[in-house]
This record gives sequence, C-alpha cells and structure tokens, in this order.
Amino acid sequence: MTPTAFVERAEGALADAQLQLALSRATGTLGSRRASAFESLENADAVRDAARAARMNAIANLSGLLERFESKLIANGAQVHWAETSEQANHIVVDIARHTRTERAVKSKSMVSEETHLNEALERAGVTPVETDLGEYIVQLSHDRPSHIIAPIIHLTRQQIGRVMEQRLNVPYTDDIRTLAATARAKLREEFLRADMGISGANFGVADTGTICLVTNEGNGRMVTTMPRVHVVLMGIEKLVASMADLDVCLKVLARSGTGQKITVYTTMVRAPRRPGETDGPDELHVVLLDNGRSRILSGDTAEILGCIRCGACLNVCPVYRNIGGHAYGDTYPGPVGAVVTPGLRGLTEWRELPHASSLCGACRDVCPVRLDIPRMLLALRAAAVADDPQPKSLALGMKAFGWIASRPALYRAMARVGRLALRSRARNGWIGALPGLAGGWTKSRDFPAPAARTFQDEWRARRKRRAS
Amino acid sequence: MSVRTAILDRVRHAQRTAKIPAATTVGAELARPSATARPGATQQGGAALSAPPARGPERPAPRQLVERFRAELAALGVETFVESSPDDVRARVNAIVGARSVLAWDARQLPYDADRVLVGAARGSSPRDVQAAAQIGVTGCDGAIAETGSLVLLSGEGKPRTASLLPPIHLAIVSEADLRDTMDEFFRERAADIAGAACCTVVTGPSRTADIELTLTLGVHGPGQVIVIVGP
Repeated sequence: MTPTAFVERAEGALADAQLQLALSRATGTLGSRRASAFESLENADAVRDAARAARMNAIANLSGLLERFESKLIANGAQVHWAETSEQANHIVVDIARHTRTERAVKSKSMVSEETHLNEALERAGVTPVETDLGEYIVQLSHDRPSHIIAPIIHLTRQQIGRVMEQRLNVPYTDDIRTLAATARAKLREEFLRADMGISGANFGVADTGTICLVTNEGNGRMVTTMPRVHVVLMGIEKLVASMADLDVCLKVLARSGTGQKITVYTTMVRAPRRPGETDGPDELHVVLLDNGRSRILSGDTAEILGCIRCGACLNVCPVYRNIGGHAYGDTYPGPVGAVVTPGLRGLTEWRELPHASSLCGACRDVCPVRLDIPRMLLALRAAAVADDPQPKSLALGMKAFGWIASRPALYRAMARVGRLALRSRARNGWIGALPGLAGGWTKSRDFPAPAARTFQDEWRARRKRRAS
Repeated sequence: MSVRTAILDRVRHAQRTAKIPAATTVGAELARPSATARPGATQQGGAALSAPPARGPERPAPRQLVERFRAELAALGVETFVESSPDDVRARVNAIVGARSVLAWDARQLPYDADRVLVGAARGSSPRDVQAAAQIGVTGCDGAIAETGSLVLLSGEGKPRTASLLPPIHLAIVSEADLRDTMDEFFRERAADIAGAACCTVVTGPSRTADIELTLTLGVHGPGQVIVIVGP
C-alpha cells in the first residue's frame, strides 16, 4: 500500500456518512460493554497483570514453548507442520486437502487465514472454503473484507446484509435480523454436515498440554472441530501460553475486553483427534505453525505486540479507528494493533504510513487487557522509518533552521512576534480559514486557531511587573 | 535446514535480544488467591506445571454454590431446575422433553438413570441426519462452574459432542457434586481427566451472535436454548 492509498482510503471513509454512523454506534457500544464487564471483575488490575505476565513470559520463552507444544501435540496424535511464509502455509493446507480428498472445507474465524489469503489458495486447488462465523460468511458472500477484529461487518447495515443474502442465496429480501441469522444457520448447517475438513485458527495454544483453545459465541468453532473428518488449525507461532492456569487468566480478560462477556459462550479445548469409541470429532488433527514475519518482530523494538490476544478493545477506543474504520488500514489487522503488526509482518518500507495513523493519545494502552504499550511501539516504528529512509532534504534543513532559531531566545521571540501578527491579520472570528504555502496542508481540511493577542511570556512579564509595583 | 529448524533458530536468536518489558508476577498471585503461587512464572515458561497442587481456600457451601450458579445461568437466559432426588430429576427430564425427538448421551453416561425416561432417543452412533433432526439434546456434565454459569463437557465414548451442539435445545443434567466455584479450580482438580479427553468444551449459555448491527440474536449454530437440571 502506498501512503497515498492510505490517505485516500481514510478520506473515503470520512466522507461515508453511513460508515461514520455505524462506527460511532458500534465502537461506543462495545466500549461501554467492556467497561462494565471489568467493573464486575474483582481484582481487575491484578488479573490484567497476570494475563500480561502469561503472554510476556510466553513470548520471552517462545522457542522452548514451541518445542514443548509440538512434542505434546505429536504425543497426543496430532500432526504438526511448520511454515515460514503465507505461501508455505497455504501449500501445506492444500496438500492436506488433497491427501484427505477434501472437496468442501468449513472455516471458523481465523485472522491468520486472512493474513495468508488461504481461501483463494483453496479455491485455486478446487476446494470450496465456506466461512461460518456469521459476519465472515456475509463478508465472503459479498466479496468484502472484515473491518473489525471481533465484529467483522460493523460497516454494514441490516438492509445491506438483507440484499446480499437475497442476491447470493436466492432468498426473499428481509432486514429482520433474526430471520437473516436463521437463514445463515440453515445454509451453514448443510455445510457443516457435508464438509470434509474443518479449518480454524487458535485463540491460544497451551504448551504444557498441547491444547488448542478456540472461543466462539455462535458455536461454529465447535462445529468445525466436531463434524468434519479432518481438522486443520492454522496459527501464528506467538499464540502460546505455558500452562492451563495461564490459559484461564487469558480467557478471563479476552471475552471481557472483546464483547463484555465474562466468558465466551463456547470455549473449545482440542487436544487430540477422535479417540477410539467416539462417534464424532476428526480422524486427523493437523496443526500448522506459521512464522511469516513474527520472528522478525520478536527481534525488534515491537516484540511486545506479539502478546496481543486480538480482543479488539483498542479499536473501539481509538479516535483514528473510530473515524476511518478498519478498511482504511489496508490489511488484515486494523486499528492501533494493526498499525504496529502490519508493518512488522509485511515490512515497514511499504507500510510506513500506518504508525502515523495515531494521535498517540494512549487510549489503546489504557484499555489493553495485557497492557501493551502501543504508543511506545508506534513511536519506535516512526523512528525506524525515518532512519531507514531519511526525510526530504528540505525537511531536514527546515528542522535544523528551527533548532537554530529556537535556541536563540531573542531571535525566537522576534520571529514569533512577526508570525503572530501575520497570522492574526488573516484571522476572522478567531479562526484562519486558509494558510499560504506548505502550511496550507493544515487548513485543507480544518481551520487553524488564531494566536492570542498576547503571548504567555508577555502575560507573565506583565504579571510580575504588577506584583513588583 | 528444515523449515522447523530455521524458524526455531530465528526465534531462539531473536528472544536473546528481544526487548520485552518485564512481566510482573505480583498480579498473578493477587489475581489467584486460590491458585498455586507460581514460583516459576518469571523463569522458563511453564514452570508452573511443576508447582505443587495448592490447598484451595475454604470452598463455599454447596447451597451457596448452587445459588451462585443459578444466578449466573439466569443472567445468561438459562432456565435452571434444582431437584432433590433422582426420581425428581427423571420426572423433570420427562416433563421438559415431552414429545420431542431426542439425541442423548448413552445410558451409562447419563446421571440419575435419566435414560429410563428417554426411550427411543438417537445416540452418537445414529446416522448423522437422524442426529441433526433431533429436537432436543440431553447430556450429563463433567463439571459446572458457578462463577460463570458454565457447563464442562469432556468428550469420550458414549458422550457424543453432537448432543450439546446440533439440536435447538440443550438439556444438561448436572450433579451438585460436580459444581465448582471457578474454572481455575476445575482445571487443577480435574487435570488428568481433561488430559484424557480429546476435546474439552465449556458451554456458557445459548449460542449467540451480535454480528448484525450489534443486535443480540440467539441460536446461530449451537442451541438457542439451554436448560439445566441440578441433581442431588
């Protein structure tokens, strides 16, 4: 994505009145649900500290945990695959599909599969992937993209969804939400019953026990791990926690932060393929562990972001996300977390604009259940981008000149006086509508406040004089 | 070099220099007064595994636990019946099931001989389409969590996962003795049982979604109605 593309997307989003309404409603509702969920949690701060400790310890000891996780999975009867890149991961899944003669695959929500564009790879190989999370299903039907980590279609109205279903599923139009959900249930039930393969992500992997933990509210996570004869888990290498106790504490904050629930409706902890005597569950369990840039992130200033549990809380409080929505971020992971993760996974050079999509207000850090210091990481990325690719000469020269003037108080004051008078002469009712030259960039989309008649320093000197007299 | 080795080498190398702000463990102990202290929390991950099992705090009286459980379930929209004898449990099952077609766990997996009132029920061994057509699923429970109103189901022979998943109604029969206050408590006490099951499912209320305009809608893929009977 080029910088212009980001700006264009953001401007498009800002001009979309319906999106603006949907964003403010959704983020407001999710934000307040989160707040009341944490009010009801005893020792909320301590629980968040514990969740942070669980995740940070896992990241700090990742190689050891990965090895333990792998050996437990194998001992439990699962097959483990490793992938460096998206292409490798997709290739592995396609290969499993071939070996198992899979024609249709049902998927529960997996952000990693969006990161690798798995659906396209499966389709090319003749396998039909069906998204089964209601939001993701509608995204797939309308060839759209998800715009929020936990609420993929907050950018759509019920009327738009009704029209998508009418056109794509050949059902009568309705904008009744219960009917829309019932239609999806009926269609997807057929898919669950005939699919050969279930594909899921993992909310957490537990190293001590080789457990894959999935949470869903709809039950599609249970369906994809119960009905098909093959289950493939596609997960990033960073999703581990050490123990079941660590899992427990992470689950405590995940649902509260994401949807304001104490716990998600279905927590599915898969450890092995179907056991002898069982009548359901997969015959084969495959786990694909994907790096795709994560080990590079671990070696840099933003290693902490690997502790993210993808609750989406930072999106709901971010003044930038609340205005531009998820699509403007241009890749799988939106919002403040995306502004750190995307440059890390895809490369800073191409995504250097994203760390600037933040006012550094710190709301994301305050709300994060594992206390990730996102503003610090955004600043680190901005600095790295400048170091990699120096700014235009004029900018460097300008900053140098400013430094020279600002370190000479008399000169600075004189220049400030000239500037103030010049600005005030352009002001009308305290605001300046248009600035000349480079400064015009500021007034292109908003007014500039006129400077006060007297500077703070003038005022200060006058007060001291009055006191002294 | 294999992909596996390459990734693990890179991770090992990266974590030697990784700048990860110190993780506090003070919180971990505060947050879990009932849990084991975790001496290994800041050391190599997973050291907690070797920690000795803790003596939990005083367990709340059974009656209190049942009341807490019932209140949480009510908040989730789950109807709960507390029965005082096996006969009452069976009578309640019979009344709830009525004339509906049933998909149930095998007789020996259901508590209180509840199977006696489930004549003609489909089982895990029935054809999938028969299972999918059932109007109510009847299961026992391996555990229940009062704090969250959750039911814990461990997969195993005679305990089809479909029974709590496919029908529009899930009727779960819980023994009071299997009720625990917190998930953490259950995880620690039943670690071996959990390890022995291919899948451990925690069910907390009916299937739901809020994907369309954040409006709550029940029964998307799983049961839209959950009913719980707590037996003696």
